[in-house]
Amino acid sequence: MLSKSQAIEVLNAGLSTGADYAEIFIEDKVSYNYSIENGKVDSATIGQSYGAGVRLLCKNQSIYGYTNDVSKKGLLNLAKTLSASFKGKQELVIDSLKIKNVKNSHPHLRPQAEVPSEEKIAYLKKGDKVMREASPKIVRTKAGLSHYKNNITLINSKGFIYKDSKERGRVYLMCIAAEGNKMETGFAGPGASAGFEYFQNQIDIEKLAKETATSALLMLTAKECPSGKMPVVIGNGFGGVIFHEACGHALEASAVSKNLSVFAGKLGQQIASPLVNAFDDGTIVNGWGSNNIDDEGNPTHRTMLIKNGILKSYLVDDFNGRRMNTPGNGACRRESYKYEPTSRMSNTYIDNGSSTPEEIIKATKLGLYAKSLNGGSVNPATGEFNFGCSEAYIIRDGKICEPVRGASLIGSGAEVLMHIDMVGNDLARAQGMCGAASGSIPTDVGQPTIRVDEILVGGNGGILK
Amino acid sequence: MKINEKKFFELATEYKFEAADLSVSHEYSLNLSLFQSEVDSFSESDTYRAIARGIYNGKFGTAVTEKFDKEAPEFLVKEIKETATLIENEDPSIIFKGSAKYHKKNVFNKEVISNNIPAKIELLKQIEAKLRAFDSRINEVASIGYEESMSESTMSNSYGLKLKDKTAAFSIYAEITAKQGDEIKTGFKVFASMDPKEFNMEKFVKEVAEDALSKLGSIQCKSKKYPTAIAGRPFAQLLAAYLTNLDAEEVQKNSSMFVGKLHQPIASKKLTLIEDPLEKNIFFSYHDDEGVATSKKTIINKGVLETYLYTLKTAKIDNVEPTGNGVLGAKIQATLGYSIVKPSKKSLGRMISKIHEGVYITNLEGLHAGMNAKSGNFSLQAQGFMIKDGKLAEPLSLITVAGNLYEMFMNLKEVANDSELQLNGFNSPSVLIKRLSISGK
Repeated sequence: MLSKSQAIEVLNAGLSTGADYAEIFIEDKVSYNYSIENGKVDSATIGQSYGAGVRLLCKNQSIYGYTNDVSKKGLLNLAKTLSASFKGKQELVIDSLKIKNVKNSHPHLRPQAEVPSEEKIAYLKKGDKVMREASPKIVRTKAGLSHYKNNITLINSKGFIYKDSKERGRVYLMCIAAEGNKMETGFAGPGASAGFEYFQNQIDIEKLAKETATSALLMLTAKECPSGKMPVVIGNGFGGVIFHEACGHALEASAVSKNLSVFAGKLGQQIASPLVNAFDDGTIVNGWGSNNIDDEGNPTHRTMLIKNGILKSYLVDDFNGRRMNTPGNGACRRESYKYEPTSRMSNTYIDNGSSTPEEIIKATKLGLYAKSLNGGSVNPATGEFNFGCSEAYIIRDGKICEPVRGASLIGSGAEVLMHIDMVGNDLARAQGMCGAASGSIPTDVGQPTIRVDEILVGGNGGILK
Repeated sequence: MKINEKKFFELATEYKFEAADLSVSHEYSLNLSLFQSEVDSFSESDTYRAIARGIYNGKFGTAVTEKFDKEAPEFLVKEIKETATLIENEDPSIIFKGSAKYHKKNVFNKEVISNNIPAKIELLKQIEAKLRAFDSRINEVASIGYEESMSESTMSNSYGLKLKDKTAAFSIYAEITAKQGDEIKTGFKVFASMDPKEFNMEKFVKEVAEDALSKLGSIQCKSKKYPTAIAGRPFAQLLAAYLTNLDAEEVQKNSSMFVGKLHQPIASKKLTLIEDPLEKNIFFSYHDDEGVATSKKTIINKGVLETYLYTLKTAKIDNVEPTGNGVLGAKIQATLGYSIVKPSKKSLGRMISKIHEGVYITNLEGLHAGMNAKSGNFSLQAQGFMIKDGKLAEPLSLITVAGNLYEMFMNLKEVANDSELQLNGFNSPSVLIKRLSISGK
């Protein structure tokens, strides 16, 4: 491991040609993956990831490099190579470094790596068994656990050393239901920044497995989803991916700072229905997308993004904040040392409103109930987004009726937020992986049940009647 | 950096592994991007990685490390033993002794690794200036970048097989926004190759600019079923999703829609697909991750499925030869290599000339969410053009296209001749589907 004096030498080498900020990010991570298939352990891998990234900033320019050679020689070479991109003189000299204490706000009562493999496997097998036994139509099941412990050291030219340890785990349940030539899938993937106690105490794997199998079996009976514009009630939890895609990405400073977002320059303006209050909160205890500090060393933050429909804040990292004259608000993240960090979401959600989910369904004469979704994407410059439904039903006369399959919802973020006309009181969060410039990172999406009075539904089932 | 290979295999013997293999890769890459004609970001990387597998008590164990220290061989061997001890499936565990012949070609072009960063910055500046000058409606060059990468790898095993690879490639990408009134559209293109001489700046600028400009003034069409032409890139994405079902493991486990379809039609007679991983391009590979030699072969012949894709394990189960398609992740899976859709002699214009009212899809979004490759059902955000009286008409945006992959491929009416190498490993022209559901207004 790099000593203080060696780190000072590397930072100064980085600063030698005029950079105004230098940073070393070292990562030492061990990951474990277990997968059960049709009742038997099918794969197990252990992986060690180890490397460092060096970032130099000079005004609005950033230079980044990474290597697995974390020796003084390796990092010094990298810092020198990178600094050759600038042609100025050294203006900032580092002569000392102070350790900044990072408080762990996400306790791990039973660190996952210390839990015997047999115990983790037995837990997964319980879920796998329930899915397999749900019906003879379930032809294939998989239950997996991925967890890691990541020791981070961040050293920067502000003169600080941060040491943090992150531990996350996620369980995957997957099943395939088949009948005749039809095949449907079920999926669930709860996770947390916590030890194994999270799964033991908070996730009833058998109940979750039952729901996963039931959803796949139900979709076998579903008709093709009708298409066209209609009112859509979006379920709580993973339904929040609509806000993640329709709004969240366009609030990231990486797009806003370059005026490449539909929401750039709109602080203080009404961008959503007055019913919408939204947050990005990287501090939620044991949250899947939570961290103690962000990847620039700033403490994570509970950021109110939208209050009563009015845009209150963006998600800002220090570097992109330079173009916006705004300091970072703890939103700088990266997948690993192989990615230059940038502004990203953590746990992002629409807050509770006042309607009950039952009231929302009851108030809908004819429309779609998208109970659960399976991800989506957005073009932040145009705000055009899409997402797919994994479980959906038609609402008729205020009642949830026949299930439908193959539904997608598309629209423009700026428009859809204005069209949210009911917000429920059953806020829930769900876990996902978000892919963007700084890699694939764990994020929570969340919302209570909401209704959008009109959204374009894509499907193969003709016009809704 | 080096890992002590000899020590790894000695330890594997000491730990009583029946066989073991070790793949070591070294990746170098350089990325450069501009914003408003200034270097906005530059990155350079140099990394190593080792993946090791061993068979212990008849079961596979797997370990990965990026820490190339003295302890690395021991770490790998210990973790292989630990993970192998957990495995319960009764699958055959095989480490390959080697194919009779490998068609190794030298595809490494040292000219790609330029070491001339100022020249690349200048190239990007020129592209940016040309994009801005192309049309007054182009209001921003959102990102423009250059990337070059080099990869060296060695795969060796305890039977003495040793396979080496070295490749280099570069790519240039640009994304622009075009504005007309309040309407904003984006245009994007990536060019990737192993030969810098293949890059044609004028063509690239024109394609990026026209991608954005052609979308301005877009409408939503009426929701209904239309004859639908699909451009090469989105068609290749649909094809890739469809052909994930080729993996023999999925077939053996009854989770592929191609169960029982060997030597049966899985597409209309118009579709022929040939896998050719030996063609010299960025997808070249002469062996798979298990060490099996790759070969040129017909996957779909006039709509008929000619073969599944077999790893060593699934080939043994079906008592056939492995097909050289093994890709190592958490475990080995069979994936199609570079493949070519056989084009016709018909131009796109001629292919759509008889359509009175139809849709031409040029872009698909959200395949990770709106595509279920198991059921084959898809419902995806799309962009494209109306086809009216046999010609391309108004641009379309915020529409969806929905259908079922099997039905769509069975209803493939025509294949055009405008083939292009797509970045997902297919060489594909535009095609025409009898009818697909389009949702708009």
